[in-house]
Formats: sequence, structure tokens, C-alpha cells
Amino acid sequence: MKPLLISLVLSGAIIGGSFWVTSGSSRPSRAIPENNVSIVDGKQIIEIWAKGGYQPRKSTAKAGIPTILRFNTNGTFDCSSSVRIPSMNVSKSLPQSGSTDIDIGLGILGTLQGSCGMGMYPFEVEFQS
Amino acid sequence: MTAQTQKYTFHVHGMHCNACILMTESELADMPNITHVKSSLKNNSVEVIGDFGNKTPKQIAEELTIPLKSHGYTVSVEKQIKEKKWSDFKIAVPIALGFAVLFVVLQKIGIVSWVGGGNVTYGTAFVIGIIASLSTCMAVVGGLLLSMSATFAKEPIRSLDGHQGQRGEKIKPQLMFHGGRIVAFFILGGVIGALGAVFTLSTSATFTLSLIIGIVMLILGINLLDVFPWAKKLQPSMPKFIAKHAHGVSKLSHTRPNGRGFSVGRALTPLLVGIATFFLPCGFTQSMQLYTLTTGSFLKGGFTMLAFALGTLPVLALISVSSFSIKKSSKAGVFFKSAGLIVILFALFNLINSFVVIGLLPPIFNF
Repeated sequence: MKPLLISLVLSGAIIGGSFWVTSGSSRPSRAIPENNVSIVDGKQIIEIWAKGGYQPRKSTAKAGIPTILRFNTNGTFDCSSSVRIPSMNVSKSLPQSGSTDIDIGLGILGTLQGSCGMGMYPFEVEFQS
Repeated sequence: MTAQTQKYTFHVHGMHCNACILMTESELADMPNITHVKSSLKNNSVEVIGDFGNKTPKQIAEELTIPLKSHGYTVSVEKQIKEKKWSDFKIAVPIALGFAVLFVVLQKIGIVSWVGGGNVTYGTAFVIGIIASLSTCMAVVGGLLLSMSATFAKEPIRSLDGHQGQRGEKIKPQLMFHGGRIVAFFILGGVIGALGAVFTLSTSATFTLSLIIGIVMLILGINLLDVFPWAKKLQPSMPKFIAKHAHGVSKLSHTRPNGRGFSVGRALTPLLVGIATFFLPCGFTQSMQLYTLTTGSFLKGGFTMLAFALGTLPVLALISVSSFSIKKSSKAGVFFKSAGLIVILFALFNLINSFVVIGLLPPIFNF
């Protein structure tokens, strides 16, 4: 068991140490605006922040108008940088920082489900009439 | 006493793979008083027809054991009742559950958000690697490594001359995995950086890959539990690169007179799996690769991916060390059962998620 103990201590030190060194770049706190859906020039824009999951996880939008999903990233390296919407066959890789628009056409009544490329971060948009 | 040919059936201990059938059969067929021999993996038995004079079955079993002993098999009259040690689960289940809870908690506290924005230095790539190894990538890469190294640790290492494998032989596959992984990340990262293009797999290719990995992990996990003998039979039908190691490349080793076959197979499979982790569906790896293509240089790209791979190393090495430091002790059973349960949980997690990605299932996990 001795090598196990040594390696436990060692990896603990490396992990702890690197977090301590980089602790300056801690979690950016960002307030997610209450209303993430806006209509600009007749187009409905649904803004979703992607980092460690999607926020807001659930959006409510209007059905029947041209709709764009806008994904904002900021130092996103996890799975949420790869967006997947199975029902529309969308698979999109987002840049580490920036914003990416995905045109999903006319919002269809009902719930649009999406997730990250590995499937564990879900998000959904409910289109209401 | 006239010579008479008779049929006997004996139980063989230590048979664990298809190659064992060939092995036992060819050894026993060489014995002068045997005319026919047939081994069966299904009930771990061997059927021999031969003339043994008036020896008792027990004496014959001892005689048959002699040529097989060096390969690690024993022939006996009684069926060896395999101890399933259900009591190990009393400790293994809480350990596995504790591990699962720790995994979920790590995701819930949002470690993935600890990476700040801005420029990616080699230092950040390293930290991203650490976070990846504590995050859902652990379910894929860590799960694969755990199932592989625990299976290796479990299989006794036997060289042809019958000596038990050296400790070095146990560490070698682990070193090959990590070495292969790190070198592959540097080289492939460099290629991405130089070419400015990512080797992206299509959604269906990713799905197929995760499905295969999930199923392989599930089978290895069930086998690690050591309570379902039927699962053993599934192992040969696995993809070649995994099956090869799962059997300790028995065939190779059995046909090579110098006993070096083991080293070749035991080293090659982990090496290939290590390299393959570059393409595994793990979000962090993929987005690091996307970043790497913006570097526009072989060295920059290579070092970025190298730093990332080194970041994942502490946690992955821990999995390796815990596997090979486990010896034939009372705790070994608990370790393999815990590992089996954890591997099964990860396998189910991966399988469910891959069905979510292709839209067959609604999202289930929500971290």
C-alpha cells in the first residue's frame, strides 16, 4: 500500500498546488439576466451562456418566428463548448470565448431539447404559441 | 492386467480463456497413454480417453497435473467450488457508492467553471487537464483505464516456464498506457497545430465509439465482480484490441516458446488504448484540440496538448497505482469488486449519455 499512499499525497499536492497557483483566475461571477429572449429585427434571439453547463437551463420563447440560439462562452473548455441538438441534427463546436449563433429556423411549438456533446449538460427551449 | 482404454472427465482449475483450451489439450495430447483429449471452458473440465492401468481417478488427476502445473492449471476429481465472496460486497458497495457521490459532488460544485477566460498558457492547459480528470472525462478515460488495469492486475501473469510474473510486468502495461497517451497527445497535438485542422469524428462515429467503449467497460466491470461466470464467455467477443489484453494475450504467449509473448501483448494493447484516448469523446480533450488548432505551430500545439495530458496524469496515475499495488490479499477481492461496480456505473453513465447525444433518450443526467 506504500506506493499508493505516496502517489495519493503526490497527486493531491500537484492538484492542490496548481489550483493555488492559478487561484487568481477564479470563477467569474456573472449574473444571468432574467430575460434571455429578445426580438431584434423580427428575429427572436435566445441567449444561452455555456460554461460548465448551460444557463438558463430552460428558456421560454415564442413559436412561429425565425429564431436564433446565441451561445456565449468565456473560457469554456468543458463539454458545454460542444452543442448538440439531436432533433435538428445540430452539432456545433463553440470557440473558447465569444458568441456563436445557431439558426434554428421557425420555432416549432413544443420543447426543443439539447445537450452538450457528451450528453450530461442539458438545456431546453419551450416554444409557446 | 490388460491394457484398457477408458474415458475420464476431470475438472481443471485455472482455465479462463479460449486459448487455455488449446493449451491444455495440446499438453495432454502429448502424454503417451492418452488417445483423446477434449477441454471445455464452459464447465472448466477436460475429457480424456486413455489407458492408465489401474490407477484411481485421483492418481490420474495428479499425473495429468504434472505437465499443466507450470502453466498454472490443476486437474482434480472434484469440482472446485468457486468462492464468490458475496461478503466483499458489504464493503465494495459503499466504496463504489461513495465514489459515485464524490463524482457527482465534484460536478455539482462546478469545478469545470474554475478555468478563467483569456489566454491559454501551458499552465492553464495543465489546470484544464486536472479539471478534466476530475470531471466527466473521468467517466470515459478513467473508467476505461480502471477497467483495463484492474483486469490486468487480476489476471495472474504466467510466463511459459511457470514463474510468476515479476512486479515489473504488472507495472509495464500501466507505463505503456500513460507513455502512449502522453506521447500521442504531444505528436497529435503538434499535427493539429501545424495543420490547423482537427480530426473530428462525426456524431455517428462518436456514438459508435462510445457505444463500444461502454459495452466493453460493462463486460470488464461485470467480470471484475467475479460472480457471474457467464460473463467470461462474453469477453472473447469483444473488440480485438481490448480482448487481446483481457486474455493476457494468451494465444501469443502460448505459442511463443520463450514466454515473451506476454510482454508484447501486455504492452501493445495499453499503448494503443493510451493513444486512442486522444479521440475519445471527452469534452475537454475536444475543446483543447479546438484551441490547439489556433496555435498554428507544431511545437505550440504539441506542448499545449502535452500540458493538458500531464494535467490529467495525477488522477489517472492514481488509478494505475492503486491497481498494481493491490496484491493477493484479503483486500484484493474488495478492490476488484469496488472497481467492477465503479466501472459498471461509469459504463452505464457513458451508454446513457451517448443515447442522449443521438436523441434516443431525453437528457437524464443534469450536472
